[in-house]
Amino acid sequence: MRMLARRLSLYVVTAWVAITVNFLLPRLMPGNPVQTLIGKMTGQITPQQVQAIRLAFGMDLNQNLWDQYMGYWHQLLLGNLGVSITLSTPVATVLASAVPWTVGLIGVSTILSFIIGTFAGALLGWFRGSRLDSIIPVATFFQAVPYFFLGTVVLLVFGSNLHWFPVLGAYSPSVTPGMHWDFVLSLIRYGQLPVITIVLSSIAGWMLGMRNMMITMIAEDFVLMAVAKGLPRRKVIMHAARNAVLPSVANLSLAIGLVVSGALLVELVFNYPGVGNLLLQAVQNEDYPLIQGIFLIITMTVLGANLLADVLYFILDPRTRTEAAV
Amino acid sequence: MEETITPDAINAENDTVLDIENFSVDYGWGENAVRAVNNVTLSVRRSRVLGVAGESGSGKSTLVYAVTRLLRSPGVIAGGNARLTFDDPSASDSKRRTVDLMAATSRELRSIRWSQLSIVLQSALNALNPVLRIGHEFDEVLKAHRSGMNKAQRRERATELLGMVGLNDDRLARFPHELSGGQRQRIMIALALALDPQLVIMDEPTTALDVVTQREIINELAQLRARFGFSMIFITHDLSLLVELADDIAVMYAGNVVEWAPATDLYTAPRHPYTLGLLNSSPPLSGERRELVGIAGSPPDLSQPLSGCSFHARCPYALERCATDVPELRVLDQTGRKVACWLHDTPAMVPAPLRRELATAQPHPQVSDPVTGEEVAQ
Repeated sequence: MRMLARRLSLYVVTAWVAITVNFLLPRLMPGNPVQTLIGKMTGQITPQQVQAIRLAFGMDLNQNLWDQYMGYWHQLLLGNLGVSITLSTPVATVLASAVPWTVGLIGVSTILSFIIGTFAGALLGWFRGSRLDSIIPVATFFQAVPYFFLGTVVLLVFGSNLHWFPVLGAYSPSVTPGMHWDFVLSLIRYGQLPVITIVLSSIAGWMLGMRNMMITMIAEDFVLMAVAKGLPRRKVIMHAARNAVLPSVANLSLAIGLVVSGALLVELVFNYPGVGNLLLQAVQNEDYPLIQGIFLIITMTVLGANLLADVLYFILDPRTRTEAAV
Repeated sequence: MEETITPDAINAENDTVLDIENFSVDYGWGENAVRAVNNVTLSVRRSRVLGVAGESGSGKSTLVYAVTRLLRSPGVIAGGNARLTFDDPSASDSKRRTVDLMAATSRELRSIRWSQLSIVLQSALNALNPVLRIGHEFDEVLKAHRSGMNKAQRRERATELLGMVGLNDDRLARFPHELSGGQRQRIMIALALALDPQLVIMDEPTTALDVVTQREIINELAQLRARFGFSMIFITHDLSLLVELADDIAVMYAGNVVEWAPATDLYTAPRHPYTLGLLNSSPPLSGERRELVGIAGSPPDLSQPLSGCSFHARCPYALERCATDVPELRVLDQTGRKVACWLHDTPAMVPAPLRRELATAQPHPQVSDPVTGEEVAQ
């Protein structure tokens, strides 16, 4: 447990650094966002408005950097991320409406891809050299094709031409969002195509990683022992897979960390109302408070996912539970 | 361990557990094949220990893995037969059943494995799954072969087995990396005995351990054998270790069995120059000190075709024909011991070291009693 506590303190420090960098970044940029914004308004702005914008950014010229930093923390702890300039809505509210979509879509796809890929990889590793191996080049092909290109092709063929799947959005415009069955069904229906695209384009990584680790594990004595013990084949494979999956779990945490940010292109292609779309808009409109808020969320999810992976690894591999002898 | 070796005892047909006949194993296929085990015939007697000695690469482990169908690619069984004879627990009249291991289906093999034929590997750390608790290893073996047992009974059996090797049952909740090397190997031995197998194969079980632990484990093994009467194949490069534990010893060199004899006879009166060389290169268990002499040269490259006796290039007594003619493993005298060496064709040619008298009148050449572990006065 002390081990875990030590890891946790490391995460706290990392989070502090990330937040501080997030605070400093806009202030280190050439020019400053307030100036840019004022420039955009081409003179139709009163000094009061300028001051209001500065306050909204936490960039009060009458404050030194330290006081600004303290103010930033104060607002952050209150859950106040500022107000989006283009949307005139608090950043926290904007994020709250976008994050669930992305986490839902990419999270589900990532986990599906992990489970299917790892399972397939375990079998491919065990039956290496058999006809099953022909799956590998197919999967690799889909991973090699650029994400958005695959998405566009899939959309054109199965959406626009065959009309098997709806083309745009996250749910049917005719249903009202809420916790009812119609809405859930519509979500699944609209989600299928993007999920399939993401799974197709990411499964090869899981599959190959697992397959290679399986092949390494099969050479281990404990797998030979499992055979010598006369265990059913399923159990022998499990002996190898249980160990082979460890590096994949570490990779899963990294993949989950990218769930919030990594879906930019897919969300664009399928016009999905998630963080990726939001980030693109924010960048195009130079909506600094929003950009900052999104960065903050991304950083926190990466950290959170890493923590999750540490804990998972801790559970899966008993060897990590012993303290390293110093 | 009192026994009388009747003539022809080591190949008594009717009471063997494992019969290996003309067994050959290759690594690789076709032209690139390397013959690792060459036409080996051996048998293990019921409730006896067959020691297999030889240096690294002599094919001793390969032989055993191939016979038990555990050999992995690129190992290929090139020919031969192996039969396992055991008391069939399912038959009511306790009839002996013989299974042709080469013809057995994977289903048959699964049922024989561990219940009749278990194995202990050199490194217990690698043989135990690092992410599973010790208790799980016992549990899964009992689950797979004793479906009638419930959880409490399996736990009880595991505790009993650990007790047999002097370990407390709190080890069951441990992971392999939390235990010492000696404890791990004891656990492997307990695990190997979990289903009362007919034959236990020990592949250098003590090589990775320090000499004190090695001694303890050898003594425990002897006790367990006296108690349960299982047969054993004990593979090692340490001939002096075998003399204590084994009833018969087969010495392997470059894939061939060069000598096969009752342990005491082989130790006190070796008949093959290679056996003699092996004995001269390890310190004697008793008697006066003598200079240790290694065997000059190194084992032949098996990927090159060999002519004649595989040992002739290193043999101090090699005859002319040794370089061209392959000696067969043949019965040498009325004790039934076998040797593959041309020297014995003409008794007058046999050099003095290979002509020593059998130690019938001498005491057993061991420093410690295998049952009690007590030191015998030197």
